[in-house]
Amino acid sequence: MSGIVIHLPQEPAQTVRLGPGEVARFGRGSDAAPVELRLADPSVSRLAGEIRVTDEHWLLSNFSATQSYLVENPEGAGEYLRVPPRRVGAPIPFEFARVVLPTRGSGVSFHVFAPDHVYLDPSGPEGDHRGTRTLTAYSLDQTAAYFLVLVALCEPRLRDESALAVPTTPEIVERLRRHPQYGRLTARAVSAHIDYLADEKLRIVSPAEREPGRGARRNGKRETLVGVALRFGLVDERHLGLLPARTPSGAGACR
Amino acid sequence: MPVSGAGPRVPRGLRVGDWEVGEPIAEGGWGWVYEGRRVANTDAGGSSTGPTAAGRSSTGPTAAGRSTDATDRDRGAGAVDGGHGTGVTDRGRAAGAGDAGHGTGAAGGDRAVALKFMPTAGLAPRQARGLAESARRESEFGRRNRHPRLIRLLDSVVLDEPDHPQLDGAVVLVMERAERSLRQLLEAEGPLAGGAGTRILTQICEGLAHLHALGWVHGDLKPDNVLLMADGSVRLSDFGLAAELDGTLGTHAWMPPAGTPDYLPPERWRAPLGERGVQVRPSTDIWALGIVIHQVFTGGASPFPGATAAARGAAVQEFAAGRAPLRLDPAVPEVWRALAADCLAPAHESRAAHTAQEVLTRVRAAEGDASDAPGDTAPPRRRRRLVLGAVTATALGAATAVGWPYIVADNEDHTAGKGTEVHTENISGTASAGARVTVFNVEKYCRDRAEARDPICSLGLAVDPRAAYTIDNVVPTRVWHGDVLPAECRMSKGLPVTDEVGTRTTTWYKVRLRDGRAWLPAVRTKDRPAVPECA
Repeated sequence: MSGIVIHLPQEPAQTVRLGPGEVARFGRGSDAAPVELRLADPSVSRLAGEIRVTDEHWLLSNFSATQSYLVENPEGAGEYLRVPPRRVGAPIPFEFARVVLPTRGSGVSFHVFAPDHVYLDPSGPEGDHRGTRTLTAYSLDQTAAYFLVLVALCEPRLRDESALAVPTTPEIVERLRRHPQYGRLTARAVSAHIDYLADEKLRIVSPAEREPGRGARRNGKRETLVGVALRFGLVDERHLGLLPARTPSGAGACR
Repeated sequence: MPVSGAGPRVPRGLRVGDWEVGEPIAEGGWGWVYEGRRVANTDAGGSSTGPTAAGRSSTGPTAAGRSTDATDRDRGAGAVDGGHGTGVTDRGRAAGAGDAGHGTGAAGGDRAVALKFMPTAGLAPRQARGLAESARRESEFGRRNRHPRLIRLLDSVVLDEPDHPQLDGAVVLVMERAERSLRQLLEAEGPLAGGAGTRILTQICEGLAHLHALGWVHGDLKPDNVLLMADGSVRLSDFGLAAELDGTLGTHAWMPPAGTPDYLPPERWRAPLGERGVQVRPSTDIWALGIVIHQVFTGGASPFPGATAAARGAAVQEFAAGRAPLRLDPAVPEVWRALAADCLAPAHESRAAHTAQEVLTRVRAAEGDASDAPGDTAPPRRRRRLVLGAVTATALGAATAVGWPYIVADNEDHTAGKGTEVHTENISGTASAGARVTVFNVEKYCRDRAEARDPICSLGLAVDPRAAYTIDNVVPTRVWHGDVLPAECRMSKGLPVTDEVGTRTTTWYKVRLRDGRAWLPAVRTKDRPAVPECA
């Protein structure tokens, strides 16, 4: 349980981590109403709301008297929830969330990631899930885009095509192009998913990183990610079915 | 663990090695556990006792032959049986639980075993590899470590069952059959009374202290993995995650990234994952012990609030970050509350100060207190053992600041106490009162960190000072710099010994340990006690 990560995309981009029990206020901010997350838009109130981390998820409070906030799941095919004015502590169930505050323009938004969401071990028996079962401590959502990216990263080694090669970002973009849901992942999105996996979900330490003064961090990260995912069975042969068919003739299967 | 509705996956009556499959016992992510009974077969399996009839007389069906063998082997070759902190205790109740329990069970003849099936068929190759790895860890652990507080691995079998494709290639670990797990006990009986809880926790600590002294980390300590035998004694089980501390540094082990969320220490939630897994340290088990202590007295409730394991994990983080206090249930007896709080120190560094051995020492003291408390429901024999523990602890407190519990209390030390029966039962020696040797390690590194009781700093004692000092001639009990041992007599003309800096001696001291006598070469102490020459 490492809490959540809040990412404000505006310039300069700001990343804030909150642990369980911690609170961050957001809004335009002022001397009288200081905020941790400053949203520099004149139509956002000085103290617009609050984020509080609890358990493995987070709560959103809307301090506005008139405006609803939207929380979208960027991976949820349009899934969203509306937090009405003056609502306190609405639980947000998404691992990935985009909080949208209405403005005169296109709206102000920021992202909140909750990497601690827990999933039962895929290899465990169905039913009879008790709290004391031994689990893999790194639980992955097998329906999430990051998992698909991870499978694509591992594919060459799972198919025993190469013990060494790990696909590059452009190769993964190309590989997923015919996926019905995630076909339009950009190179930037793929990189972001890899970073999210490495930094938030699996908390990878690449061998290069342990030796100070080495510059090979980014390359080491992918290889370590693949190595760890395969070594500890986070990804295996059964997951290859999540990827779109490889030959053009198989494209029909993806609809 | 009741088995879910999936129905039996292993057919009843299937032969596994010398055993026949019976009722299902448990099921988990790794596989299934069934009861097994030894099949009467015609080859006696190398047992010298021979007879094979499936009877149950004390003279020995096959099961008895084999099992007794195992027990004897442990005692004779000394595996690790005596190498832990409980020597006196076990010996003290020789007719009761513990070792004797095996004897009784074996003599009973119908002793059941637990068969843990770890199937590999029907799994993706990589998954199968993971399971095989787990099975390998567990059986390797079982082969190398035997102790009255660790569930005993009797055998391991790889199935060759072409008729049962699901089972073909499965690894089966044959283990002692326990009556139930601590979790089942807590679910059935709710919070345990002080005496019963203390007894169970003490034995858990004994097992843990032994594991850590050997340089292993259990990694998955929880009530499900604490098994209770029919005689009430405790065995730690499930060593699928157990890992040996790294050979060069001895401070870390590597483990697959798995665990039970409720028992993971705060740092594990943020632990980085490398190619070898996550790093774990013995303090991981200490944290889990803190949770178990709380659970024993609260009927299984975690000290951390929350409806789900994830919520409790978050509460652990809040506590570790200093944003929430530790709120232990008032039902936990005072002395145990203090212990649990120490085990649940938020930082690894502060937890590391409380080694399993240290906890065990304090537990023993607490055990003594509990036995004096009114309303203790322990049966008479048990009570006597509890008293024994108390006397040992008190005596140690009086004798030396180094409270290592295997040191036998000297007669003088507890005559004032309640230990008359202890004498007759336990201490037969009549050494000159008060003669002691303090162990000295010539390595400064080890002297400086004697408290840590690092395995690489441990020193051996000989079985026979006239025989070559080889592995077979070393008692399982290790000693460390600063330990104080009662000395009985001296042998001036033993086998010459040279220490690391070249000091040579032929003098040996016969010293008493909790589990018997052994010989300490004079180069291992600066003391020259006035003891007679040995007869």
